[in-house]
Amino acid sequence: MKKIFLNNKFILLFIILIAAFLRLYQLGVNPPSLTWDEVAWGYNAYSLGIDGKDEFGRFLPHDYLESFGDFKPPVYAYLDIIPVKMFGLNAFSTRLPSAVFGILTVLMTYFLVREIFPKDKKESEFLALATSSILAISPWHIMLSRAAFEANVSTFFIVTGVWAFLASVQGKRWLLVLSAISFVISMYTFNTARIVSPLLVFILALSFRKQLLANKKATIAAVVVGLLLILPTVQFLVSPQAGLRFKEVNIFSDVSVVKRANQEIANSNNSLISKLVDNRRVLYGIEYVKHYFDNLTPRFLFISGDGNPKFSTQTVGQMYIWEIIFFVAGILFLFRKRQGNWWLVPVWLLVGIVPAATARETPHALRIETTLPTFQILVAYGIFWLGSMLFEVKSKIAGIKLSKAITFVFVIVIFANFFYFWRDYTVNYKYDYSGEWQYGYEDSINYVKSVQDKYDYIQVTNALGRPYIYYLFYNKTNPGEFRNEAKINRDPFGFVDVEGFGKYKFPNDFEVGKDKNKKVLYIATPYKLPENARVLKTFYLLDGKPVLVAYEI
Amino acid sequence: MKNKITYILLLVIVMVAAFLRLWQLGNVPPSPDWDEAALGYDAYSIATTGRDEFGKFLPPVLRSFDDYKPALYAYLAIPTVMTLGLNTAAVRLPSAIAGTLSVIVLFFIIQELFSKKGDDQKDRERVNLIGLAASLLLAISPWSIQFSRVAFESNVGVFFNMLVVLFFLKGLKKNWLLYLSVLFAGLNIYVYQSEKVYTPLLFLLLVVIYFKDLISLPKIKLIGPIILGLIVVAPMVFNILTDSGSLLRVRGTSIFTYQTEILGDSAQKFERDENNHDLIGKALDNRRVVYAKTIVDGYLSHFNPNWLFVTGDISRHHAPNMGLLYLFELPIILIGIYTLLFSKLDKRTKIFIFLWYLIAAIPASITTGVPHAVRTLNFIPLYQIFGALGLVTAFMWLINIPESIFGIRIGRVLILIYVLFAMFNIAYYLNQYFVQLNYYDSADWQYGYKQAVDEVNTVGNRYDKIVVSDKQPLDKSYMFFLFYTKYPPIEYQKSGGAGSGSFDSHHSFGRFQFRPINWDTDSKMQNTLFIGTPDEIPNGAAVIKTIYDLNGDPAIKIAGT
Repeated sequence: MKKIFLNNKFILLFIILIAAFLRLYQLGVNPPSLTWDEVAWGYNAYSLGIDGKDEFGRFLPHDYLESFGDFKPPVYAYLDIIPVKMFGLNAFSTRLPSAVFGILTVLMTYFLVREIFPKDKKESEFLALATSSILAISPWHIMLSRAAFEANVSTFFIVTGVWAFLASVQGKRWLLVLSAISFVISMYTFNTARIVSPLLVFILALSFRKQLLANKKATIAAVVVGLLLILPTVQFLVSPQAGLRFKEVNIFSDVSVVKRANQEIANSNNSLISKLVDNRRVLYGIEYVKHYFDNLTPRFLFISGDGNPKFSTQTVGQMYIWEIIFFVAGILFLFRKRQGNWWLVPVWLLVGIVPAATARETPHALRIETTLPTFQILVAYGIFWLGSMLFEVKSKIAGIKLSKAITFVFVIVIFANFFYFWRDYTVNYKYDYSGEWQYGYEDSINYVKSVQDKYDYIQVTNALGRPYIYYLFYNKTNPGEFRNEAKINRDPFGFVDVEGFGKYKFPNDFEVGKDKNKKVLYIATPYKLPENARVLKTFYLLDGKPVLVAYEI
Repeated sequence: MKNKITYILLLVIVMVAAFLRLWQLGNVPPSPDWDEAALGYDAYSIATTGRDEFGKFLPPVLRSFDDYKPALYAYLAIPTVMTLGLNTAAVRLPSAIAGTLSVIVLFFIIQELFSKKGDDQKDRERVNLIGLAASLLLAISPWSIQFSRVAFESNVGVFFNMLVVLFFLKGLKKNWLLYLSVLFAGLNIYVYQSEKVYTPLLFLLLVVIYFKDLISLPKIKLIGPIILGLIVVAPMVFNILTDSGSLLRVRGTSIFTYQTEILGDSAQKFERDENNHDLIGKALDNRRVVYAKTIVDGYLSHFNPNWLFVTGDISRHHAPNMGLLYLFELPIILIGIYTLLFSKLDKRTKIFIFLWYLIAAIPASITTGVPHAVRTLNFIPLYQIFGALGLVTAFMWLINIPESIFGIRIGRVLILIYVLFAMFNIAYYLNQYFVQLNYYDSADWQYGYKQAVDEVNTVGNRYDKIVVSDKQPLDKSYMFFLFYTKYPPIEYQKSGGAGSGSFDSHHSFGRFQFRPINWDTDSKMQNTLFIGTPDEIPNGAAVIKTIYDLNGDPAIKIAGT
């Protein structure tokens, strides 16, 4: 028994090492460049690390970072302070928290699965190891761990929260406080978690109400700690700003639905039944179901993944194709065997999609990352039961046990599929999708830095989005200086528009040759250049297409 | 439940099915699409002259719009067209009848699949209940109603496949029924393209799974059906071997025909690998890998919950804002699959039902335009079987839950809520289908030709020539004019009107010419009536009539010179 125990520890270590390699290898180089959100995380961490203020000067913000007016939950920036201090302000340090918490999620998943299924059995040990290895090589989790996505960090805290809760009601009572802390941190980390975490806590509390009541001290402590921690942000959560970005992306603001409902009722001569069934609430309900199901389509899950190349290479799904067999089998067996806290897996999966389905862009691998690792648990469960059924088959083909032959084939398929993904991701990905990662900013800014002394000011296009933050990031501009010099506009919708700082101007109307008597360097897209432009340098995407040019008049 | 009551209920269900399939058959959907019109006219042509529009004598395959439709539907439409006249309802009637009868067939299939020897009264009642539930779900199925109310061959194909299964299973006991099973299997390849792949697969499945039963029969009882089968399929095999055109449709829809669209990105990658001498890359970024993924994707796309329950595919394949199944069926289908898998039923029944389900999407998976509700219509009756099993299981379970709140049994409350939801769902569908479909989808149903022909009948005498556009969306307009004017097929065949028949050829017969209208030059023609798209005939023209789609958008303009 002890030997097996040691063995399992060893296997777990091996899994973690693999997870770490897949998440850290070339972290600063692939994905090939930083998106504006990543850059914003890095620079805010840099700024917080210098004087404890965010880029715009709010001191130790706990409720939000204003950033581009998207009011980011702030935890990621805080987690990034130390990496930025240690490794400098660069892509690697910016992404490190996501990668590290991704690795830790793989570890925590192991402990989580042991709490979900009956403990003292070899079975739950197998399931725990299988789930964490599947998560370790999951294209979904790898890709989200390799960029500064706050969602990936919040997944860790949700997993920890659920694990600690289950461990607490199953004996280790005081872990309940840790659970409360974890869930609250997840809400300070990622918008979607602000809905998913409370729902999960509610469901867990309801199902384990007896244990919680029997364990009054820890329960009261956890509630008190949880409430105290959430209190500072409540005011923000109910404020209009918090809902601002939600209103923009949600399906319920679509007026065409109301028009359609009215038309349908008119088509039915205003009949009572039609007023009932063609009600706009029904139509919105159908819209919601549609967006919900979008996240469960086979193409998204198993074939090509999220249509946004930032979340998927487009060549494999959010999961590997071979997983589909075990995923389906896993669901069926889970309901058949009903072991331990089995019900939590499907409930968690379904709850995790609830907030994402209110948005227009579905499916969305990032917004439903809160469902991880339930998909992987189901696959592991399927592997276990299909595997045990297979090993009951005693027949032989050509002297080889059928069960062994099939296992062998599957191992090869799994390996090949992984290799297919990993090679595509490390070899092809950066060429095909560098544009998606705002490639070109870094090169152009390095060029600007080398020649800027020769110019009165530098005018940069907005076409690639939010140039100011890149100029801050790659110049390592002192945040105090930026706050003094920056020209900032805030529009009624809360969007923040930085028009310029220092020598840099980021005008909304890109006018050329306005200041005749000043020497200006223009950084613009390579299209529709003015006729008298003298192009000094062109910056290319990795697939060879030009993305920016530097010119003067 | 006594047998008598069961059959009375079955009769009621069949009447519901018939009503939902026959009521307003010619008016909802508002007009025939071109395939329906073509099948109708070919039926008319064969009935009156023995030849199709191309003059081919008793063809097993209709060349039609060069899509080489298997011809059986046209033959089935001969009696209805000859009795009711060449009109929309008559063309659709064979499909509607097949859809109605399949409700009965499903009841008996359930009997065959789920009854065991030594069933007691209670078991038999349960099987009857499942049978009735399945028939009811099929009777009200949006998927089945959609294709029973249009002249789509595929619907007859499903009916035949169900007969194949029923007569095969019954035939294991009453052996002469095997002849019928083989007959319908053989005939089905004359019904619809997908069945050429699907029916052999289905039949193979039956033979393999029930091989033990078959092999134990006296050889003589097997040889007869085999010979019958060979005779039935011979003309089609002959046709495929001799007429290269009949495979054109397969080529036209297969993914392998659309290389540039499908290979896209991978071609770039492959090129890069070649430049880098990356052998492994060349193996992985290979087009074969892409094809394999496309096929798997095509297959799996038919298990997309949105396609099934919420959106469907193109608008002619579903009611507006509806999928192919009711949302209320989702839980019972899942429960049904679960129950079937883990129940104590005969292992062969289980295997048969699941494989029957899994082969339904195979023919469509190598085609473009997936998911495709017509090519996978053979999912009927599987979802109804799963749903019925789930419905009965869940009902039995809920009714027996002892817990109660405020003195009301929880299980019964849940049943009530579920029934209300289901009724709401059905009411929504019926409203969408019978009221909203014509409004929203009339353009997709190529609405307006009947009104155009009516106009020609009233004012046409004043003109020497009638030019009808065949520019999109009026392409293949000649077929609608043949159909609605009931143009004598013998004249049409004589004039060689069908011409080369290829996709872009222009037609003419009698006073009619079918070609795009160029108003600048055409308006100088004397005594000519023009029927065209709203874009083709400018506002300045002497417009006699504008025909509107049912949502008020202009569809066809008629002007004279």
